[in-house]
Amino acid sequence: MHELSLARSIMDIIEEYDLRHHFKKVNSLKLSFGKLSSVEPSALEFAFEVLSKGTKAEGASLEFEVLPVILYCTVCGENVSAEHYQATCPLCEGGEVCLAGGTEELKLLELDVD
Amino acid sequence: MKIDVVKNVLDANDRIAEENKALFEKSGTWVINLMSSPGAGKTTLVEKTIEALKDKYSIAVIEGDIEDTCDAERVARHGVPVVQINTGGACHIDGNMVREALPNFDLQGIDLLIVENVGNLVCPAEFRIGENIKAMILSTPEGADKPAKYPLMFQESAVMIINKTDLIPYVDFDMEQAKRSALGCNRDLVIFEVSCKTSEGLTGWFQWLEDQIESYKKQDP
Ligand SMILES: Nc1nc2c(ncn2[C@@H]2O[C@H](COP(=O)(O)OP(=O)(O)O)[C@@H](O)[C@H]2O)c(=O)[nH]1
Ligand SMILES: [Mg+2]
Ligand SMILES: [Zn+2]
Ligand SMILES: [Zn+2]
Repeated sequence: MHELSLARSIMDIIEEYDLRHHFKKVNSLKLSFGKLSSVEPSALEFAFEVLSKGTKAEGASLEFEVLPVILYCTVCGENVSAEHYQATCPLCEGGEVCLAGGTEELKLLELDVD
Repeated sequence: MKIDVVKNVLDANDRIAEENKALFEKSGTWVINLMSSPGAGKTTLVEKTIEALKDKYSIAVIEGDIEDTCDAERVARHGVPVVQINTGGACHIDGNMVREALPNFDLQGIDLLIVENVGNLVCPAEFRIGENIKAMILSTPEGADKPAKYPLMFQESAVMIINKTDLIPYVDFDMEQAKRSALGCNRDLVIFEVSCKTSEGLTGWFQWLEDQIESYKKQDP
């Protein structure tokens, strides 16, 4: 939905690093986000493609590390990775879980440049 | 060559939000970012809250809800300053939109600023605006499965207001399930069950709000 503004922020970060490192081109970007955050990789790729046209980042590929949903169950004490968030423990069916992972916001981890 | 970055992509927005927050702290303005699906009752709750607290506090509203163009007019009728943000069809309010709205107010004289976000359970939770707290409304016709579908919203919010309790006899809403599921996202979530139609439960919300504003004022240098 708002991938254009995310892509714009990514371009700003690239420019900031270019001022420091003076690279020729960006080959790839490594990004991470939680599975439950609102990032839509294909929409972000498209927005990035549009905004990077004619810049050093044109043609760069985006690699995504998607962080899993982790439920911590206060009944059995286990951390369970799950497909979705649910309030019932998939292991012991205990009814008191804490969402312990999967909502991490979008981060730019690494730039691969020449 | 690989360059380590490790930066939040929304870092630039966070910085603007911090600047907004510094302004609010200077003027002693307590700010609430109000979020929900379209139609859950944000504007209605804003109106009720103004009526309950306006004799005690000076209140202002930033209106970012695009669903209904008359939201700003509805709020203005209660005699408080209101600024309609032109979100330009955006799906959320960001720090910069709030920053641009601020010159319209005399912040010094404002105790409570309520920002009505765009009706959307997804991304408004990801964009900080310089608020003290995020509050979200879940209305009973939406169903108890919303925390499971949009956990981030419930994790980020300090308060969940379950609205339209007057409709419980007519809609399938599992109150216990909704609360349990929301608390799993955020153990510290403060929950109010209210009806903005009958006003049932609203005094608890008003009192909580008042307590927040008072303790914020006490911190004020
Ligand atoms: N039955 C009932 N209707 C409500 C309640 N609160 C709000 N509404 C109605 O729900 C509709 C949407 O409310 P509004 O405040 O505009 O929602 P917003 O889109 O979140 O700002 C309006 O017709 C309100 O009158 C409530 O507690 N009970
Ligand atoms: Mg509204
Ligand atoms: Zn368990
Ligand atoms: Zn958005």
